[in-house]
Amino acid sequence: MKVDGIFGPIDISVSGLRAQGKQLEVISSNVANARTTDAGKGEPYRRLEAMFKAEEENGGVNLQKIMKDMSEFPRIFDPGNPEADEEGYVELPNVNLPIEMMNLTIATRAYQANASVLKRYQQMVDTTLELLR
Amino acid sequence: MSKRIDTIDLLEAGIRAEELRQKTIANNVANLETPGYRRVDVKFEDLLAKALDSSSGSGDIKETNPQVYQPKETAVKSNGNDVSFEVEVGEMVKNTLRHKAYVRLLGKKFKQIEMAIDIK
Repeated sequence: MKVDGIFGPIDISVSGLRAQGKQLEVISSNVANARTTDAGKGEPYRRLEAMFKAEEENGGVNLQKIMKDMSEFPRIFDPGNPEADEEGYVELPNVNLPIEMMNLTIATRAYQANASVLKRYQQMVDTTLELLR
Repeated sequence: MSKRIDTIDLLEAGIRAEELRQKTIANNVANLETPGYRRVDVKFEDLLAKALDSSSGSGDIKETNPQVYQPKETAVKSNGNDVSFEVEVGEMVKNTLRHKAYVRLLGKKFKQIEMAIDIK
């Protein structure tokens, strides 16, 4: 990683903010679809996960891709459900709400951390500019 | 450097570019959710470097004007809009710091002149 130029840290912080914003978007999709039994293709909603990649050249982080969580769908016994199979079982999304809430806290804190770095760096450059008074 | 470059002209050009850039950032933020809107930015530093290049450039700062263009670099959202609020905030921070630096340098330059003609 090379960081040259006075505004390198700002670009890096912004890339972090954007990445955590994307993470938040993915979490909100998972929470909103926590009970969606039909996501097309005869399958319940599959949990999504954002994968990030370090930006080698200029520093910072980038969204690599949004991947599907391929873990198994939990099955509940609910014979009255119109979506139930012959045995009376319904497949639910593989979203685990406590895990999503935990990830939400992590994403929020990481967003705040990036914002703090940006603010602190701004103050540092301001200090330098004070020398020009 | 073939030609003497006037500090005040140079700083003035920079401040003018930063002012225009601030306007484009405000425009981008105002159109954060406008369908089909692509963010705009100001091209100035590259043009200035080209103009000041002693071998090929004209060396004339006054002919170098900042240009508004669409970078089309950020990811496009589903509504055809590519403004990212975080990017705009970052650009604004950079812009403010640059503007501050130029204004302070201009102030210093004027102080030098005042000192030379001893008006205080």
